[in-house]
Amino acid sequence: MRRLLQFLKKFRDFIIFLLLQVFVLGLFFNSKNYHKATLMNTSSSVVGWFVEKKHNISKHFSLSEANDSLAKENAELRELLPESFYKLQDKVYYVNDTLYEQQYQYIPAAVINSSDNKRDNYFTINKGTKSGVGEGMGVISKDGIVGFIVDASSHYSIVKTLLSENINISVKLKKNNEHWLLKWSGEDNRIAQINGVTRDIDIQEGDEIVSRGNKGIFPEGQLVGTVKELISIDGKPTLNVNIDLAVNFNSAYHVYVVKNFLKDEQAELEGDLMDNE
Amino acid sequence: MNNKWVKYSLIFILIVLIQGLVVNNIQINEYFNPMVYPIMIMMLPFELNAVITMGVALILGVSVDAFSNTFGLHASSALFIGYLRPTIMKYIRPKEGYDTSLLPSIQDMGTTWFLAYVSVIIFAHHLWFFSIEILRFDLFVLILAKTFMSFIFSIGLIILFQYIFYKPSKK
Repeated sequence: MRRLLQFLKKFRDFIIFLLLQVFVLGLFFNSKNYHKATLMNTSSSVVGWFVEKKHNISKHFSLSEANDSLAKENAELRELLPESFYKLQDKVYYVNDTLYEQQYQYIPAAVINSSDNKRDNYFTINKGTKSGVGEGMGVISKDGIVGFIVDASSHYSIVKTLLSENINISVKLKKNNEHWLLKWSGEDNRIAQINGVTRDIDIQEGDEIVSRGNKGIFPEGQLVGTVKELISIDGKPTLNVNIDLAVNFNSAYHVYVVKNFLKDEQAELEGDLMDNE
Repeated sequence: MNNKWVKYSLIFILIVLIQGLVVNNIQINEYFNPMVYPIMIMMLPFELNAVITMGVALILGVSVDAFSNTFGLHASSALFIGYLRPTIMKYIRPKEGYDTSLLPSIQDMGTTWFLAYVSVIIFAHHLWFFSIEILRFDLFVLILAKTFMSFIFSIGLIILFQYIFYKPSKK
């Protein structure tokens, strides 16, 4: 007994260090594997308040750039309005259209805190549950897919970006609908990867990779990036593909949170299927 | 005594805010990830034991984590140097021992001692940080590259902060 006490006394510091380390690293690795935040983050009210104050100062430095990109997007959207089409036939556009039911709603938000040089990169945006943002919703910008929400407080939310380990977003080749999971190796913040592309698939440099939309997080066909290079590895029958990401994560500012009105319906239906199996 | 801990708390809050709101935004490229908050652990009094140092380090790390969305990575690295600090201090102890009325700062302890102290602590901190963050043997070169680049930047910032926030102790 005395030996044990002596031993404990001698290694007291180390034992405390080990226990705390296990606790902290447990939280850290959990945050990688679950799509849910486990520790205090920038969506909490105190930290969020500080981050927003900082944002209020620093946003002025990028305003003109942000305005230009918004004006450009406005112009593009204006082209799609009914007024900008020549009417070939009367009464083509209805306000209460019974052929189309709205599935996606977009909530505009601004990125108030971001990183792009870590192994897992998160954005903080200035909209939260009070604006209708919830966990699991997709986030896109005008260039393409950004990520999805992992935690939301009443005024702020945390976005897990494509620049994360285990991001595993389902993507497909635009021209022939072959689909894979998107990965990020953590080496370059402009390039993501798809592994295990079989050689019989017609894939070339410059092909567009878009979202598959199977989970209802993103609408189908949102741009993710373009194929940059095809890499064949000796002794493997499959190709690895490097993708030039469409979004510049260093300067993303205006983003949209995608709210899917039919997501629960889909989940319920697919959940039933799982249960039956 | 009381007064001293009030001062430490204020510096603590200031350091967390500076790290969270200013230094975290220095993102030149993926290799530079400067961190200035270890200065808080480094500047604790000489005689402080490892358990209290680790306590301070844990709170500090979790606060910095909250600002950088790293969910425990900073806390883990801060704990690591909190645990190592007494040992490192023992190895670089000057011949006449430590004068507990002084602080482990560049003004009080001289440039040579401080450079040795800051290099060992920051190197240990960064190597731990990037190893846990990347956690792949085949990317060992990337871990080392990130460690060295950020190491230089962090040490520069910490020496700058030394001169801004800490006055020489009166003898």
